Amino acid sequence: MSHEHDHGHDFPPMSSVKRWFVTTNHKDIGILYTVTALFFLLLGGALAMLMRVQLWSPLWNVLGEGAYNQAVSAHGLLMVFWFISPFAFGFANYIIPLQIGADDLAFPRLNAMSYWAYLFSGLLFIVSFFQGGSFSGGWTMYAPLNVPTFMPNVGGTTVVLALIMFVAAVTMGSVNFLTTMYRMRAEGLRMRDLPMFSMSILLTVWMMLFAFAALLAALIILGADHVFGTTYFTSDGGTLLWTHLFWFFGHPEVYIVFFPALGIMAECFQTFTGQRLVGRKWFVLAMVLVALQSFVVWMHHMFLTGINLEIKTLFMVTTIGISLPFDLMVFSLIYTMIKGRIRFTTPFLFSLGALILFIVGGITGVFLGAVVLDYEFRGTYWVVAHFHYVMVGGATGLFAGIYYWFPKMTGRMYDEFLGKLHFATYFVGFNLLYFPMFVAWETPRRVFAYAPGLSSWHQVATVGGFILGLSFLVMFYNLFKSIATGEEVGDNPWEYSTTAEWAVSSPPPLENFPGVPSYEGGKLSFRDEHEAAADGGASTAADGGTADASTATGSGGVATGGGALATAESALASQATAEPEHADHASYWPVVVCFAGFLAFLGISGVRNGGFYYGLTAAGGVLAAVGFVGMAQESFHVPEPTVAEQWPFGGVENMKLGMWMFLGSDVVLFGGFIGSYLFLRVANGWQHWHHLIPEDHVVLPGLLNTYLLLTSSFAVVLALVAAHKRSRLGVVASLGLTWVLGVGFLANKAIEWLHLFHIHSEAFPNGWEVGTNVASSTFYLTTGLHGAHVIVGLIMILYMIPRAWKGAYLDDDSSLEYFGLYWHFVDIVWLFLFPLFYIL
Amino acid sequence: MARTKLYAGIYVVLFVLATVQALVEGVESIDYWTAFGIIIVLSFAKAIVVAAYYQHLRWEPRSVSYLMVGGLFVALALTTAAAYSIL
Ligand code: HEM
Ligand SMILES: [Cu+2]
Repeated sequence: MSHEHDHGHDFPPMSSVKRWFVTTNHKDIGILYTVTALFFLLLGGALAMLMRVQLWSPLWNVLGEGAYNQAVSAHGLLMVFWFISPFAFGFANYIIPLQIGADDLAFPRLNAMSYWAYLFSGLLFIVSFFQGGSFSGGWTMYAPLNVPTFMPNVGGTTVVLALIMFVAAVTMGSVNFLTTMYRMRAEGLRMRDLPMFSMSILLTVWMMLFAFAALLAALIILGADHVFGTTYFTSDGGTLLWTHLFWFFGHPEVYIVFFPALGIMAECFQTFTGQRLVGRKWFVLAMVLVALQSFVVWMHHMFLTGINLEIKTLFMVTTIGISLPFDLMVFSLIYTMIKGRIRFTTPFLFSLGALILFIVGGITGVFLGAVVLDYEFRGTYWVVAHFHYVMVGGATGLFAGIYYWFPKMTGRMYDEFLGKLHFATYFVGFNLLYFPMFVAWETPRRVFAYAPGLSSWHQVATVGGFILGLSFLVMFYNLFKSIATGEEVGDNPWEYSTTAEWAVSSPPPLENFPGVPSYEGGKLSFRDEHEAAADGGASTAADGGTADASTATGSGGVATGGGALATAESALASQATAEPEHADHASYWPVVVCFAGFLAFLGISGVRNGGFYYGLTAAGGVLAAVGFVGMAQESFHVPEPTVAEQWPFGGVENMKLGMWMFLGSDVVLFGGFIGSYLFLRVANGWQHWHHLIPEDHVVLPGLLNTYLLLTSSFAVVLALVAAHKRSRLGVVASLGLTWVLGVGFLANKAIEWLHLFHIHSEAFPNGWEVGTNVASSTFYLTTGLHGAHVIVGLIMILYMIPRAWKGAYLDDDSSLEYFGLYWHFVDIVWLFLFPLFYIL
Repeated sequence: MARTKLYAGIYVVLFVLATVQALVEGVESIDYWTAFGIIIVLSFAKAIVVAAYYQHLRWEPRSVSYLMVGGLFVALALTTAAAYSIL
């Protein structure tokens, strides 16, 4: 274990290629996100152009069915997942720490991991086109078309896995942003005073944390149907199960897409009217309300399915309810414009355009939210037009962002004339493209055959599409040219900007601020490091409140390394105890680990075909292991701020809060699995379910495993107690006991499974295997996911035991505690699985 | 370390409750749905105890508990509304 401290000092310059592979700095990663997202915009855009050419006439056959289906599906998935949110998160990465007064995100290596997982998931998607064709079941991936029976090509599976990897990236990002924004705000910056963009991202990541966990459950189940042969989505109720899981994620997703744009619009309206957002407090409240409500409207996407009328009516009401706070926000923006004095710069024009498009999109959405009208409109181009007005309307707000922050990110001004030209062609092209779709609404969605009488409208749309596409040439030309020759700007090119990113140079220095940022005096100021540290010590101790023997670990002090997946993190991290002044900014492990993930997923996509794919999976697995250990062993120092506003999480160290956030999303992941089981059981008749289970499936193995896990949890508690008593042997023994009990749990499970696989009863002459029926599928997959969590925990213990032997946890037991949080959580999940799968 | 006793006591309670869960189902005089209710309530009780004491939630700021309750609420909303929709 060598401690090299040099890699931070010779951090390569921006002109070096190496820099971009190793950087963990939030501004670099922001740029990486932005550029990568624009690449996916071009890819998704090219597919859209192909579709528009095909739609020129219902008589043409340019693409053919197979290719058209793939183009529609890939276009939707790439735009919604790989373009729009990552584009917003490019700005979030760059701007949020500056706005809240932090040097970087809480876990810089995790941030780099999140980016690389995003990039490689996108590459995985691209590979899918070359594996006998990509996914062709639409971006909503409805069951049962989404399973291999109907989509046998390997590429279909690859896309599901690519999405899983993408969700992993999103979850890492959400945990990181939440921890940062709650724990690293400048002194005096209260949550409610966050700048509008930061506020919108805060609410976005909250929605992401939970909504994407539900999607992850859906995707893992779908992946299992593809790879392991479970039968979730082909069994009774399976189709509806998918729609529930997907739209439970899907509706929050539309706000996840739109909120960052709303934040940018609010910033631009304020800056370019010189007027504070009218009714700011109500605006924020409305956003909070929408974020909460977004989780209770999802069935408005299911009005045409067999769900009962009562629930349809209920969801119609909640849908009307959610449009009300939006009205408030729209009026607030309009009044801000009226009260202020507008400067028609490019970012303002894009913001205004976004507002107009959103109003059109919102009104047409209300039509769809009414059950009776939706019977007519569902599955037509009305829906296509509606969601493009809202979603691409949102993207319009993000384009405002790229012009708004371009001077900050590059230090140079874009060309204002070309910016306006871009806006004009964009706006005209947009409306030519999407408005005719309302008129030709009777065109069926996702199908390229339509009534010939509608073709002139589609031709207008195609022309509009090309104008929209060409408008981006203007943007790219403008930005490229301006990076090189644009007029240099100082700290702040906008007269009325108020947020902190404009108080530092353009582009800002590596560690952002010339001193410790503070809002104590009511305005942003920078304090001297030492002076701040002096009274900072007192203030952190004050809110580090819980001076309880078993939990107090001090919130101020030495930082632990931020990296690895949140799970691995607790056990693997915290090598760093380096000199407090210096922060590390470079690590090549994130890209290594994510490349390993890419290989492994690519391998899994084709394991049904064996051979070569097995090799890929194994290689990916080994490389990932190397990467995680490398990351854990690396000394990587991240100083926690000496003074920071931390309400309402004062006293919960960054790493611990990150762990809790991760567990919060894991609750929803398991909730999705358990919910799916319960749903299918209801669909198949709750008690009838017993016929699907062999007599041999008895309570005892489950009870035994409950005892084992409970005891192992207790052993972890004892390890912590031993650490407090400074008993090295006690820690080692307790961890060893935990490990043995965990292995016992798995062994018992293996014996049970093998027995069930090979039973020969009258009802199940060929054994009770994974794909035997829906009951076996849910049993093996749900308890299997839990078992996988146990295995991850055991690997962490294996890493910790030798360290405990060396006495690592006696002075600082925090890693032990974080591991405990994870392990007890796994225990808690089992407390529910046991009765549900063994008793009831 | 006075808390060791508390932790040990909790461990015993958890152990017993798990056993009760397994036994309840076998009792002839309790009908299926009553047993169902008892078993689920016991699972929640055990989960709360583990979270509150072993995971130290009791001694953390309340907001951490709210976070977890939020996740739980989301999962329950999905499950109950989805199941109700096909009743
Ligand atoms: C005023 C608020 C809104 C209402 C009342 C509303 C209502 C609806 C309804 C009822 C549907 C289902 C249509 C159908 O398939 O029959 C729908 C579809 C859709 N909405 Fe909205 N919506 C609103 C805002 C938004 C926003 C802000 C976005 C995104 C930024 C969005 C994106 C979408 C998308 C992507 C679909 C299509 C989903 C699919 O592919 O089936 N909506 N909307
Ligand atoms: Cu919706």
